[in-house]
Amino acid sequence: MKDIVRQKIGINVDVMDLLNEQIAKEAHSSSVYLAMASWCDHNGFSYSAEFFYKQSAEEREHMLKIFKFINENGGTAYSPQVSNISHEYNSLQDIFETALDQEIQISKSINNIVTKCRKVQDYGSESFLQWFIQEQMEEENQFRRILEMFDLMGTDGLALKFIDERIKHD
Amino acid sequence: MNLLYKSYFFASYQCDHSRSFYIDFGHKQIKLSFCQLLAIRQKLQAIDISSHFDMDLNSGGIEILSLCNREHLFVFDTLQVIDLKQLIKATFGILELNSLVAH
Ligand SMILES: [Fe+2]
Ligand SMILES: [Fe+2]
Repeated sequence: MKDIVRQKIGINVDVMDLLNEQIAKEAHSSSVYLAMASWCDHNGFSYSAEFFYKQSAEEREHMLKIFKFINENGGTAYSPQVSNISHEYNSLQDIFETALDQEIQISKSINNIVTKCRKVQDYGSESFLQWFIQEQMEEENQFRRILEMFDLMGTDGLALKFIDERIKHD
Repeated sequence: MNLLYKSYFFASYQCDHSRSFYIDFGHKQIKLSFCQLLAIRQKLQAIDISSHFDMDLNSGGIEILSLCNREHLFVFDTLQVIDLKQLIKATFGILELNSLVAH
């Protein structure tokens, strides 16, 4: 019997499922960052707002990267549904902490897919995901550095203004 | 045509010659590209069978499935859905096994 599946698709089908789940996660991240941008805008942190608009666009790019990878290799990418986006935050610090937690979850999720790739010997997908592993480390670090500013400066009005200004240069 | 899997109600086949797949639904047999087979798999995975046992969520215990860009329309009851889920799962299992021995 011919291996028609392999002729049609270059990636493992179970890995494809996980990549589709990842698409939904990136889309969710993108929407969460948009909500955060809105909160920052309303609360007078215009540089942070700008920062989160940019983050949101980046997450959408990540989503598209995976989306195209699946389709280009003979799989089917599914356009994600996004729900459960909170717009309520206690403070600017709360926002950045939530953002870091979200990035950590995404890193874990990517690692999980890489583990699966190795298990089923889908080295093509594994090598595709290397870029994401690097990207996640950078994003986590970026949020870590911003949170350190809160540790250093405190959270009074002046400190928050200063931190917001600094985020412009990030 | 190679039989891939036979469940209680349905059966799946691979046709090497046309490089396609067939599912025998009993009253009709439909030809599927690999892409379409993936689409069926996705649709069945998305069905939450536990909703069939909840009077509020799915009181009729019925699923309406359109396949191959709405070329075919099927109405399945709970048992058929469970059986079809099993068929697709096992079919992909056999296909994966075939990949392993083919290389
Ligand atoms: Fe991302
Ligand atoms: Fe990110």
